[in-house]
Amino acid sequence: MTQEPLRIVVVDDEPLARSVVREYASADPSLEVVADCANGFEAVKAVSELKPDLVLLDVQMPKLDGFEVLELLGREQAVVFITAYDQYALRAFEVHAVDYLLKPFSAERFQEAMDRARERLRARVGTPLNVDEIVRDAKPKTGPAERVLIRDGANVHVLPVDKIDYVEAQDDYVAFKTEGKQFLKDQTLSAVEATLDPARFVRIHRSYILNIDRIAKVELYAKDSRIAILRDGARLPVSRAGYARLSQLL
Amino acid sequence: MHPILGRPARLVAYLGVWVPLGMLLSALLYLQGVFAWGEATLVALPLALAYGFLCLSAWYVSGGSAAYRGGAWRNAATAVIASFVSSAVWLLVARGWLAIVGGVRGWPAATPSFRQAAPTLFGFGFFLYLLAIAGSYLAAAFAISQEAEKRALELEVLAREAELRALRAQLDPHFLFNSLQSISALTTLDAGAARRMCLLLADFLRDTLALGSRARIAVSQELALARRFLEIEQVRFGSRLQMAIDAEPGTETEEVPPLVLQPLVENAVTHGIAHVLEGGTVSIRVARQMTSLVFTVDNPCDADRPAGRGTGLGLRNVRERLESEYGADARLRTEEANGQFIARMNIPLTV
Repeated sequence: MTQEPLRIVVVDDEPLARSVVREYASADPSLEVVADCANGFEAVKAVSELKPDLVLLDVQMPKLDGFEVLELLGREQAVVFITAYDQYALRAFEVHAVDYLLKPFSAERFQEAMDRARERLRARVGTPLNVDEIVRDAKPKTGPAERVLIRDGANVHVLPVDKIDYVEAQDDYVAFKTEGKQFLKDQTLSAVEATLDPARFVRIHRSYILNIDRIAKVELYAKDSRIAILRDGARLPVSRAGYARLSQLL
Repeated sequence: MHPILGRPARLVAYLGVWVPLGMLLSALLYLQGVFAWGEATLVALPLALAYGFLCLSAWYVSGGSAAYRGGAWRNAATAVIASFVSSAVWLLVARGWLAIVGGVRGWPAATPSFRQAAPTLFGFGFFLYLLAIAGSYLAAAFAISQEAEKRALELEVLAREAELRALRAQLDPHFLFNSLQSISALTTLDAGAARRMCLLLADFLRDTLALGSRARIAVSQELALARRFLEIEQVRFGSRLQMAIDAEPGTETEEVPPLVLQPLVENAVTHGIAHVLEGGTVSIRVARQMTSLVFTVDNPCDADRPAGRGTGLGLRNVRERLESEYGADARLRTEEANGQFIARMNIPLTV
């Protein structure tokens, strides 16, 4: 009986932690560690290129933590989190039935997690993950987002929110417009609106969220409809409800 | 201690109050028709000032700082008797003074005048002495409440101290779990390294517990602890964590509160190095500057990490400890620029 090995990407900023996973996995021929990554950027790159079955993801890492990596990866592959100690994360894992390993973990516990992941993949349940909810629950509330993470194939862009001019809904995506460039993200405009600071970003239209620092002026365009002219000359439609929200802020 | 007698400024102010009282007394004597206005003032003012001194004794009558010890009735009776006696004494003084002034100025009827004035003088003296006793009670009450407030404040400081001591002794669970993880990983990779790590960790824990219970420790001990901590973290972070420790000659024997540097070093790793992809060096310097010791800890940090995250509880605890031990003489300042975090702590040198 030949079985395809379970292809694993290990993401942990500590070299010793990665080597433990390699050691445990090497004892089982049905497991194959295809890459080990020291940070979230490498992880996104490796996952894009290698399309593994399973990602073992450390929670505490520099620049991009495990949840941010999860948000960028989406739910195409199974994920098992690894953490030493994090009350918030553990609660979220329990609530959302995410599998996790607590450092230090035994070979038996590791094997259990692998078996469970294999079962899920075989049953094609995929990951029963609601990524947005897990990410929301796993972190202490720290106020509105300060940056937006965007995955562009194998690359990750970290976009500080004050660099955003406006956000536009485009079919299934949202486009973040910044300094003449645009970055697409697989998200709804309402979800974006919920994470941004309501004192700085206004939903001026069904399809637009505007950074209020960028407004040069607002002009009447036709009865009940207005146009916002930005500092860089861009013109965005403003709905009646949007204008009401805008004038409340200004 | 007497609230007025021992302090010249208060004594002058107190006697100042007796000048209008003396004027009041002369007005009473003038209105009574005993003396002409000039005579009345000449008699009443010096007498009033003299009585001011006499009334200082009210403090002792009221029981001084130990006021309120006796029962209410007893205190009231004491006050009335004391007022009676002191007023009578004053009356004798007044008679003598009137004889002297009358003799010098050649008043014809000094003695009958005294008889006429005596009831007014007595009433005045009696009433004012009662007032002085009441004032003494007030002063005592004020002193007692101030004392109580001071004691409450001292208790608060002690409680705070105990709380900080407890916090300081608390070990970061992340640090423990991560260290155990490293040991677990090393057991198969490099058994010798695993054993070294166990020994480092044991030494670190022992020192933390032992030093934490002392009032002051030498700078050299604090630095040794920091070095051990960084050695342990180096096992975990590998080449991402480097250290540089430098103490100006002579500073190592100076004494500081225990584990006051440690939170700054922990902060440099957990909120600094751990968030930087390529890592960097945690450098610790101790120098003498005028009358203080200056500890500087600097480390790379994530320049564009979200604001409001990462200035840890550890730094706040250090600030509170410095505040409670040295007040405004010690301080901890932090700054962050170009991806470098610097913490500077000034602690006064013990003379």
